[in-house]
Amino acid sequence: MSATGTRRIVNIGPFHPLLEEPVGFALTVEGERVVHVDARMDYIHKGIERLAQQRTYDMIPILLERICGICSVTHSVCFCHAVEDLLGIEIPPRAKYIRTIIGELERLHSHLLWVGLAGHFIGYNTVFMWSWRYREPVCDVFEMLTGHRQNSALPMVGGVRRDIPERYLPDARKALDTLDGKVRMLTDAVMDDPVLAARLAGVGVLTPQQVVDYGVVGPTARASGVDTDVRRDDPYAAYDELDWNVITRTGGDVFQKAVVRLLELTESIRILRQALDRLPAGEINLGLQHVPRGEGIGRYEAPRGEDIHYVRSNGTNMPERLKVRAPSFTNIASFKASCLGAQIADVTITLAACDPCYSCTERTAVVRNLDTGREESLAELVERSRAETRRLATEMGRRPDLDLPGE
Amino acid sequence: MDAGELGGRLEAAFPGRVRWTARSPKRLYATVPADALLEVFDWCRAGIAGFRLGTSTVIDLPDGVGVFHHFAINGSPLVATVKVVLPRPDPRVASLAQRVPAADWIEREMHDLLGVTFEGHPDPRRLIKAEAYFDVRPQSRDFDPAAFRADVDEELRNRASPAEGRPDASPTGKAEP
Repeated sequence: MSATGTRRIVNIGPFHPLLEEPVGFALTVEGERVVHVDARMDYIHKGIERLAQQRTYDMIPILLERICGICSVTHSVCFCHAVEDLLGIEIPPRAKYIRTIIGELERLHSHLLWVGLAGHFIGYNTVFMWSWRYREPVCDVFEMLTGHRQNSALPMVGGVRRDIPERYLPDARKALDTLDGKVRMLTDAVMDDPVLAARLAGVGVLTPQQVVDYGVVGPTARASGVDTDVRRDDPYAAYDELDWNVITRTGGDVFQKAVVRLLELTESIRILRQALDRLPAGEINLGLQHVPRGEGIGRYEAPRGEDIHYVRSNGTNMPERLKVRAPSFTNIASFKASCLGAQIADVTITLAACDPCYSCTERTAVVRNLDTGREESLAELVERSRAETRRLATEMGRRPDLDLPGE
Repeated sequence: MDAGELGGRLEAAFPGRVRWTARSPKRLYATVPADALLEVFDWCRAGIAGFRLGTSTVIDLPDGVGVFHHFAINGSPLVATVKVVLPRPDPRVASLAQRVPAADWIEREMHDLLGVTFEGHPDPRRLIKAEAYFDVRPQSRDFDPAAFRADVDEELRNRASPAEGRPDASPTGKAEP
């Protein structure tokens, strides 16, 4: 801590128990009051835009799934939107519904993760335990339908790569029925809790004007009464055929941001039920597309807000330029407004309230072997991980249970 | 408002200075001279409710350095991309961060990626690139990923070499066996 007159600087990060990823905040404080916030962002920048510009249009969605640990559907579908905008094509109805289903499952597990973390940050671990408990079945449904809890590898330009298996749809519906009751209980418990209201109301307020000036998007903007949602404003997938509501609240404090996300959980379940019921038969993609010269912009409502991708093609099979702007890029910058005048004790939950995602903001990693200069493949990474597990098991005198039959 | 309508109104407000195409009713691309950018932005912001900067793209074009500002409007499907193309070798354009804080980080990022100077930016520090590679412009057409990798690998190897005698010198932070 350094002192200049009565002002001091308090550093949070770059590595801190409250931050799930590395980022540095320097709070300038007078006593307990924050008068300036500075963020340092460069810890996990790995140049994914440049990496994507060296890959073909069919490979890029797989790469972009790895931008973020949560928003894997977001970035790959948003890229597909940009290229489909360039091509001027409409994807088949079944693909639209499949994209809706995986997108809403992602929103469910992302919001549940945030609600749990927010509870944890203010020392309310009951909320954390509930929320993360309810998140598991959502990831299970995602795995049933796509084969993986996070990275589905489904989206491709012109549709989706694989169909979702019909035989798991009844199980998915059953899981949603169970989840619906739990989510309503959790929402009521949080909204009626006088302690949470006292702790969070009036904290980290963003005014509607600040929301527009900072370009804030998603639930963070909707909690301030700014009625914006790409799913309704610039409809994609099957959202314009389904019955659902955009949740907005007024006040713009941390409590309202939590309420918006909780109420969106119920809306997501509504959307999912309709999409599962109405899932049309038919083609799931248009096949590989030749991308001519041109440019396109894709938008997508990520759990954290509007995602934007810009693609420029020079007629080859790789884009000349891909620009990725994740919602956290604008939401994190709004800390300068929402933390100003706050007490230090309120800053952490204010920082958490926009559900910040630093890897999205700075974009992804690859692993390269220094001896060979080559990027390692997935199989090599898996083998490295297994070798490490075997080594640890041997050291501990235990038998590693990794080896599956046939290996 | 759709893309064609906004394009027509822009052309009427800035005669002879705006060239535009509407690829669809919800996607407008307008090219303006660099010295008109702030005026165009102010005009849009004053006349359109919920007009906000979505993001910006910097791109190395054959005829100069392109800075494309993508504007969105809350509650509307329209994305208006306002393009300026700046001459090399010293691309300069007025900073939108003077007007709205939404431009602050993205302009710093564009400076990191391709060396564009944003005149009047209140806080023009680097944002996403490490200090050690300050002169590297990863979005430049001249950028050679292979040569850059060789440089970085060389540096990591030097840091990891036991000759330096520092147990914390390896990239993993652990002493090499």
